[in-house]
Amino acid sequence: MLRVIKVWTIALAAVLALASGCKKPAKNITPIPGYNSQTNTSVTAVPGDGLGTAGTTRRTGFTPPPPGIGGQFPDGNTPGSVTKTPLDRGQVPMGEGSRTAGLQDAETLKADTVYFDYDKSAIRASERAKVASVADYLKAHPEKTLIVEGHCDERGTDEYNRALGERRALSVREALISQGVSSDRITTTSWGKDRPAEIGHDEAAWSKNRRGAFVLVSPSGSLQ
Amino acid sequence: MTRSFTEIRKRFLSGLALAALAFSLPLMGQEGQGDVTVTKGVARLIPIALSGFTGETQEVLQFDLYVAGFSLVSPGQGEWDLVSQAGGELEAVLNNVTAKTEAFHRSYPGGSVRSRAHTLADEVVEAVTGRKGIAKYKIAFKLDLGRSSEVAVCDYDGGGMVQLTHDGNTVAAPNWGAGRRSLFYTSYKSGYPDIYSHDLGSGARQPFANFPGLNTSASVSPDGSKVAMILSKSGSPDLWVANADGSGLRQLTTTREDESSPCWSPDGSTICFASRESGIPLLYTIPASGGSMRRLSTGGVGNVSEPDWSPDGKLIAFTHMKKGDNFEICVMPASGGNVDVLAAGEDASWAPNSRTLIFVRKDHYVPHLSLLDVPTKRVKDVVRMTGNCSQPSWSR
Repeated sequence: MLRVIKVWTIALAAVLALASGCKKPAKNITPIPGYNSQTNTSVTAVPGDGLGTAGTTRRTGFTPPPPGIGGQFPDGNTPGSVTKTPLDRGQVPMGEGSRTAGLQDAETLKADTVYFDYDKSAIRASERAKVASVADYLKAHPEKTLIVEGHCDERGTDEYNRALGERRALSVREALISQGVSSDRITTTSWGKDRPAEIGHDEAAWSKNRRGAFVLVSPSGSLQ
Repeated sequence: MTRSFTEIRKRFLSGLALAALAFSLPLMGQEGQGDVTVTKGVARLIPIALSGFTGETQEVLQFDLYVAGFSLVSPGQGEWDLVSQAGGELEAVLNNVTAKTEAFHRSYPGGSVRSRAHTLADEVVEAVTGRKGIAKYKIAFKLDLGRSSEVAVCDYDGGGMVQLTHDGNTVAAPNWGAGRRSLFYTSYKSGYPDIYSHDLGSGARQPFANFPGLNTSASVSPDGSKVAMILSKSGSPDLWVANADGSGLRQLTTTREDESSPCWSPDGSTICFASRESGIPLLYTIPASGGSMRRLSTGGVGNVSEPDWSPDGKLIAFTHMKKGDNFEICVMPASGGNVDVLAAGEDASWAPNSRTLIFVRKDHYVPHLSLLDVPTKRVKDVVRMTGNCSQPSWSR
């Protein structure tokens, strides 16, 4: 249990460290719209987000996790409890408008691609300036939204890497949010090890493949 | 006749105890802890002779019996003789050489040559071992064609491959619904990873989960009533479960780190999955109705993923991700503990007999499907297909 607490402490410290220059206390690191955040009107939400049902209707929008499911977790956290929600861990739930349609641009922020250590999802110090640069860009272009793509090297199994890639993308998303970008402008996706940037079976290739890549989305019809 | 896996394991238990003790000493979960060398005994092969079979029938029988733990010997040299009877259709006599008795004399009209030979092989396996055969079951897998990957289905030996999707994007993690009538899988058709359910009878499919973020690793409960999956809409890749009609979605884990690859206990009460909650990937279980995550000991083997629970409930197969591009298929009791390292490879899926695994092997980085008879540790590649094959799921 102590070990678990230590892990979370480190994770929290990492998030704090990312908010460069931020002197706010820990409880203020998540100035985040809640589960029911509004759809960003400047973008088009992909219809039908959610869980398909057996019939022709599909649930739309985001369903918050029902409170009270499950029991005590090993670290004492109770899912759905008021005092310790996932937000306390730096996690930011997706809003309804998180999936955006529009013109995609994977080039503009290519130089800001964030690289990760083997089997890790924490953003290393060398990569923080890139996140700050992307945050600045988004603030200067309020009409655009962002997809963060998480990727992994080949040294993990398929579904393990798909989850790890998503965790990496979410870490980048959290860092951007902590720098003042609205959570409903950033969505994530994970390609696991399906789309390596470099073909190769050594650290030179692997280090280029463990990454969070940025895809800008402009509203449909806009060429900005 | 043949010793069961359990009996074999009992026989080697005394030797194993010391090895297991020594093995459990290294610190749990360290990366790159090197080769895992604990192995158990290997089951005895059953000698059988085939007489008079030719062509495709002979090939199929040899393949099926090899995978089922038989050794092929000359007539009269084995404990069993399988003799072809002259005639237009497949007809065979199985003799018990040791007991000097005829086990059966049957004919197999109708169907393709391969199908008839598979049926005969299954009946030989059942007559000799008492176990149901597996030669008539299907495999769903990810077929990587280079520019895209698609979901495909084939016979368990790699024959009769049919490409199921034509999405032109990326797919992942096919998993059979109950009764082999449907498949759940991940497709990036929308540009994002969504889970689809695909009715194999009508060909109709629909999105099952397409929330913002990641939707993947669908795993259908043994009775077909529920689907476990990994969703990240909470802000982290967590384990969720819903009814198979899409209703009743519930979040089961709330860790900050990612969960992956859920699978079900045969009674549907428990879900086993991998989590990086501790910082490195380890196996956990959780009640399917909600509750506490519980660490499942993998006997000192860290960095593990892709668990699969045997249909008889006794074993869990998983992948040990060694440092470097280097994976091992491991099997242990479902309660955790003594790990048996079986073969180099990844992503194993149990056959309905709880004895055979299908998994992914790599030749010069090219992944293909291979079968593993767990008690004898024999490995046999399935028919090679055009394209890379991975993420196999055995129909049950």
